Amino acid sequence: MSRQAISPRPWLIGLREAIPLLGGYVPVAVSFGLISVQAGFSPWEAVVVSTLIYAGASQFLFVGMVAGGASLWLVIAMTLLINLRHVVYGPNLAPWLTASRWWPWLMHGLTDQVFALAHHRLPQLPAAQRLGWFTGAALLAWASWIAGTALGAVAGNWLMARWPLLGEIMPFALPALFLVLVIPRFTSWRWSLALGSSILVALLCTLAGYTNLGIPFAAACGALCFYLVKADAASAGANNE
Amino acid sequence: MSNALWLAMLASAIGTLLLRMIPLLWMRRRLSRHDGESGGEALPQWLGILGPLMIAALFGVSLVPRHPDALSWLATLIGVAATLLTWRFTRSLGWPIAAGVAAFGAVVILAGLV
Repeated sequence: MSRQAISPRPWLIGLREAIPLLGGYVPVAVSFGLISVQAGFSPWEAVVVSTLIYAGASQFLFVGMVAGGASLWLVIAMTLLINLRHVVYGPNLAPWLTASRWWPWLMHGLTDQVFALAHHRLPQLPAAQRLGWFTGAALLAWASWIAGTALGAVAGNWLMARWPLLGEIMPFALPALFLVLVIPRFTSWRWSLALGSSILVALLCTLAGYTNLGIPFAAACGALCFYLVKADAASAGANNE
Repeated sequence: MSNALWLAMLASAIGTLLLRMIPLLWMRRRLSRHDGESGGEALPQWLGILGPLMIAALFGVSLVPRHPDALSWLATLIGVAATLLTWRFTRSLGWPIAAGVAAFGAVVILAGLV
């Protein structure tokens, strides 16, 4: 009976459902490995950075600032500033997390992409499967990031020369994944306006070169739209009375 | 790496972990105080709204191609359309992504051949 209750194994489901993340992770991790070595880090140092910091954009910044001779205090401050957006991820998942003591430590794997996937899937899963699912998904993403970094550090130049298109095509898995996760949220005009404005503002910020600032800023603009529509509807209702 | 650089890396790693961990611990404490309510009800409204909007923002950021020329935008548009269409029929997670990447890749490869 207990075998039936846990079948299919939740970590395996998590692992399988995180596979689309690899399309985005591996090419970026390979680039990170390559850039780290070019910046003077040894391959294993690049792997340690990917293992311990495990936050894409801030790792590129870390390596770039160190190579550029920036003050280490500034390097730490900027790395953490870029990762500040992660503070809203854990609380958003908290209602669906079980009482296990492992959860806080598993937050090491809570990247943008893992958050998006978990925010969509955890509410759909039975409580008993959530820890296993998250562990499987987060570990696959983490392992692929580390393996991609190692590959990039050791053979990045050769890979980029051999399959130049692969690095161009596979990262489209990320927008496709985010689209699939966000589209079921378009349930009303109010949500559509808020989500649409977030997408648009984030896109414009990225085009202007403010990718990392753009994410929280775009979300804040979307939230503003969400509340403005409510306020507008409420005032229209009052005028009609 | 020098010792100072190792320390800077460790500080960045620990700081990043704490940025992910501490808000979760705060929220868990808050949830345990609202024991009678379901998880969704105990979540502050602004936080519940911010979650999907962050995902929307990530989508917006990831939409911008690495080399934003006309061809890349066309490939992105077709990839998005293929993802949406497949999602509409399958309502699944994997197939729409595979279809989107395939459509995006097809445009890039075909344009390279022309």
